[in-house]
Amino acid sequence: MLYPEIVIAGCGNPLFADDGFGPAVIEEMEKLTLPDNVLIVDAGLGGPHFIFTLLDPEVTKKLVIVDIADYGAEPGSITKLRVEDLPPGAYRDAHSWDLAEPLQRIKDRIDVTIIGCQPARVTAPEFELGLSDEVQEAIPKTIRVILETIGVDYGTTINLQKEGRQRGTAETCSSGKNS
Amino acid sequence: MSKVVEISPTTRHEGHSKLVLKVNDAGIIETGNWCSITPVRGVEKLAVGKTPEQVPKIASRVCGICPIAHNLAATEAMEASIKCEIPKDALMLRHILQLANRLHSIALHDILILPDLYLPGTEVKINPFTAEEPVRTVAKRIQRLREIGQTVGQIAGGDCIHPRNTRVGGMYRNCSEQAKTKMYDLAKEGLVLAHAQMDLMIAILRNYQARESVDVGGMKVALPKTLGYHNQGYLATHAFYGSSSLDECPSWDIDRFKEVRPWDWYMGEMDVTLEEPRYPIGGTTKMGTKVNPQMEACTGIPMYDGQPVEVGPRARLATYKGYDEKGTVGQNVAREMEYTDSLYEMIDCIDALNPNGKVVADYIPDGDGSLGWASNEAPRGTDVHITRVKDWKVQYFSMLVPTTWNFATCSAALTGAPWQLAEVIMRGYDPCVSCATHMIVLDEDNKVVAQKLIQ
Repeated sequence: MLYPEIVIAGCGNPLFADDGFGPAVIEEMEKLTLPDNVLIVDAGLGGPHFIFTLLDPEVTKKLVIVDIADYGAEPGSITKLRVEDLPPGAYRDAHSWDLAEPLQRIKDRIDVTIIGCQPARVTAPEFELGLSDEVQEAIPKTIRVILETIGVDYGTTINLQKEGRQRGTAETCSSGKNS
Repeated sequence: MSKVVEISPTTRHEGHSKLVLKVNDAGIIETGNWCSITPVRGVEKLAVGKTPEQVPKIASRVCGICPIAHNLAATEAMEASIKCEIPKDALMLRHILQLANRLHSIALHDILILPDLYLPGTEVKINPFTAEEPVRTVAKRIQRLREIGQTVGQIAGGDCIHPRNTRVGGMYRNCSEQAKTKMYDLAKEGLVLAHAQMDLMIAILRNYQARESVDVGGMKVALPKTLGYHNQGYLATHAFYGSSSLDECPSWDIDRFKEVRPWDWYMGEMDVTLEEPRYPIGGTTKMGTKVNPQMEACTGIPMYDGQPVEVGPRARLATYKGYDEKGTVGQNVAREMEYTDSLYEMIDCIDALNPNGKVVADYIPDGDGSLGWASNEAPRGTDVHITRVKDWKVQYFSMLVPTTWNFATCSAALTGAPWQLAEVIMRGYDPCVSCATHMIVLDEDNKVVAQKLIQ
């Protein structure tokens, strides 16, 4: 199966400043050692059609979505949301085949949690790279909340063999010829 | 007396676009304009000054559904500019990634067009999400094909959505023997499913094609035998992968390409004079609404040899395999035929892959500012990226994405069809609009005259 029991998906577009929060959290989580039944995935803009419509409820029991959410709080604040809390269209499939929302289809069979961070700056449709300081600083706290949500002890996740992993080349558009 | 009808937004594809149609009294399209209404984003500007490693990552973010095609095209454009040839096994991994992406995309497109089509032998249109048989089994098969595509892509590309294994100069790492075996097993499983799925979809498409009329929102619409025909010609650069300026015989010629302003091609301001509330998902635009495709279109019109051309599955099959069926059904049949082609090719590439071979070039030059381009035959068609790299900095970058090629071609293909079927014709192109919106316009002397369009 493509997706295991627990899936953590970082959603958003790093080209729109704080909208890159989800992928940035995933990049940071790459440094951790997580149980085999957990998959972390940088979903970018492809969450609805590459992940949410491909989850098998027989296998996947828990989905954690990491994204920005404008809920009127201080930038960098974190909140937990359920599917019911989302406004219509929040994760509409980009193909909008019947304007139904894939999370609505799976929410009764898969435990879905959305961890939202209040952005300071989203520049769409203008491109801008890099997170604001407030949102950048929210990443460690978000990871703690994610681990708590999936029942993993933070102390067991420290990766002591970082050099053995091919990471750090990921998707926050970092530079470097030999990275 | 012509009337004007607008379908906005169009559905069952990526991004935002609309159709503005001038129709005669019988509802037949006299002039059709299909245009993107997604704002210009300016990735080209953002890329300047970045490193060649950063730009493919940036390019892969402009679209939610084509990151693999953009990543590969941008990476290979960088390699073309700096003149870096990659090892054979790196190329095999890229081929496998490309084919896995195509497999997933064809399966996804099946879901998108099925609601337009009928269960053969019935008057029932197909809802791919129904729990009832026989559709349920078909939907499961489509899901499995998507899963296979994504899993193979994950192994070859390092991640199933934004591939992290690609790099300028090759790939970060090769796969293991076990991973190769797993990809092989998946491809063989997929081949059996793809044969069945292709046969079924072609039967469903032929059933649609044979009908005298079809139902659209409760309206009985006569189905023309020439649905979606055009005479614009085709552009494809490879049967399944792509080409680049590094090739000994490149299959794309930058000198034959030109991009012009959309306002020379689209209709000017008009009022909507035909409204149809029964049209699916909320009806058409209200009477009296002002429309102005010239000013609202967010793309340039790319031309090859002075004409808009069609890119995509039919263009590939017509160019490399002698396929000659025109029209919307022919286009969809061509896409179905790529199901098995992509898996046969994937199996050949997995066979050819040596997991112990090197996957990074020995020497990666910094670039001397030469113009380099690479095309990638994305599921939707030819995706060309053009760049100049000097001293490991990108000086110029441009993306010519597949659906941009198809906008004007599809607009021509709308002529002569009942307006209610305009979306069916459009979906034949499997449009992906959100990234099809860049704006670099050249004048007669190939000088840039406009880089920005409508706000």
